Amino acid sequence: MWDLRLPAGLFFTGLGIILCAYGLLFPGVRAQMAADINVNLYSGISMGVFGIVLLLLAWRKRA
Amino acid sequence: MTLATVDYLVLALYFAFVLGIGWLLKKKVTTSSDFLTSGRSLPVWITSLAFIATNLGAQEVIGMCGSGAKYGVMQAHFYWLGAIPAMLFVGLFMMPFYYGSRARSVPEYLKLRFDEKTRTFNAVSFAVMTIFSSGVSMYVLGKLFQMVLGWNFLASVLLAAAIVLIYTSLGGLTSAIYNEVLQFFLIVLGFSPLAILAVMKAGGWSGIQQTLAPKWTHAWQYMGNAADNPMGSDMFSVVVGLGFVLSFGYWCTNFLVVQRAMAADSMSSARRTPIIAAFPKIFMPLIVILPGIAALALAKMGSGYSLPMLDGKLDADMVMITLMGKFYPAGLLGVGITALMASFMSGMAGNVTAFNTVWTYDIYQGHIRKGAPDSHYLMVGRISTLVGTLLSVAAAYVAQFYKNIMDLLQLVFGVVNAPLFATFLLGMFWMRATGLGAFSGLVSGTAAGLLTLALTVAENKGGWLGNLHTFRSTMAQNFWIAIVSFGICFVVTVLLSVLGKPKPAAELKGLVWGATDMPKTGEEPWHKRPVPLALVAAAICIAINIWLW
Repeated sequence: MWDLRLPAGLFFTGLGIILCAYGLLFPGVRAQMAADINVNLYSGISMGVFGIVLLLLAWRKRA
Repeated sequence: MTLATVDYLVLALYFAFVLGIGWLLKKKVTTSSDFLTSGRSLPVWITSLAFIATNLGAQEVIGMCGSGAKYGVMQAHFYWLGAIPAMLFVGLFMMPFYYGSRARSVPEYLKLRFDEKTRTFNAVSFAVMTIFSSGVSMYVLGKLFQMVLGWNFLASVLLAAAIVLIYTSLGGLTSAIYNEVLQFFLIVLGFSPLAILAVMKAGGWSGIQQTLAPKWTHAWQYMGNAADNPMGSDMFSVVVGLGFVLSFGYWCTNFLVVQRAMAADSMSSARRTPIIAAFPKIFMPLIVILPGIAALALAKMGSGYSLPMLDGKLDADMVMITLMGKFYPAGLLGVGITALMASFMSGMAGNVTAFNTVWTYDIYQGHIRKGAPDSHYLMVGRISTLVGTLLSVAAAYVAQFYKNIMDLLQLVFGVVNAPLFATFLLGMFWMRATGLGAFSGLVSGTAAGLLTLALTVAENKGGWLGNLHTFRSTMAQNFWIAIVSFGICFVVTVLLSVLGKPKPAAELKGLVWGATDMPKTGEEPWHKRPVPLALVAAAICIAINIWLW
């Protein structure tokens, strides 16, 4: 059976890239009550890191 | 609230992945056992995350957040008191019988232990309940998207249902479970920014404690008297009704969750599934209940957020989405909406995959057509997946007539699940319990539950046959219904079993405590053994409760 961490890792890496890119390209897009934080960028980074960790775990097992 | 292009991009990415996972698993399915029970082949980290994800449906997530704003920290008892002890118990003491008996479903265990009629009663009531809860979940989601995003109710419900149908039909239970793990990660990552941002805005936990009256931020202190706490329930009904009867009835006998553990690759994995799941479960209130409590504080401190109201009362189901609207910018909002969609799908897929197994093995193979070739049951499994989905859509319409979803679910569990735990407790741990006793106990326990509902009133609900007692809240009413139906089931089962003739011990091997060799776990390291793991989980849970006393 293939490793679930592979597609899950790809998904969250992709999600992280989308959010980071959006947060960097449109830093002015802010929510009403979180106007002082670039929420997209920070959540994008955390999701991307999670995705990469899953990919590393999957890759380590295969190697 | 409107979604931007980036939000739809996130949603599309998610849909592509869940369908892709189903597609990749398609060729793994060649027998009915692959399709309906995953061929008992999944690793423990996957089954344990699926174990909590399948319970984390949309009505759970949305309802818990709303209830956080309604009942405060006490709502977390649905996790710490109402889930953790039962999850540890099922892993330690019941899984050896479920997994060891090689039953393919919970009702099938009842057939092996007792008889056909007990199994059929359980299978039918379970099948009805899964369809019903799946429909409720679907209704909540469709209504929410309609009100907030302006999506068409029917269109969004059908789209979500169609996607679940496709991936569960392709890869069966394995596909449902794999997707549940992905959905679990997405729910956690998609909702935790909301908890973090809302709590930060409210001045941290200390800010919330300063703003709200102490009864909202303590779990136990105000439970002595039902009039003192937001839940309107006294300690006895919470501890016994929720913590014992409802909780054990759900986590220990509901095939929806037990099925995940039964799909594990070994006895040790099956036992550890609910125990490992207990660790993230302890911390789920941080993500689903805490934002609701923060919302209440934010509304009190005049921060620019006000609680959603409907007819002068809190519109609990709207709390989470209105918070998201205030704290999530385009982009993360798409992730939040997708996480809601994911929670809906994990709940629905759980219901559908449990329904098709019970229907195929316990009802169809048990009564309609015995002894057909396996390919026939595989086909029946696939068809019942479709039928189950269609029935859920129909149930979504029935759900429109009820308001508070959590209360409604508790009500259904109270009548269906509560007596069941008495049956399993006696069945697994008392060799004398007989089929006739179990069946009569179940029927009379369920009837007693319904009768209690019909004779008591809470928040203008129930009392169709008269009013003997008025409860402070529907929640308190549900706790008492559960206690009554459990008690009646227990007493009737014991009485009739004592009068009847028990099965010989040889027939009970692998099914009952005392007639079964319990699995040995001595040589493995502590983190691979159920008992030490369970003790650690219990210690963490107790520590949190003392901290929030």
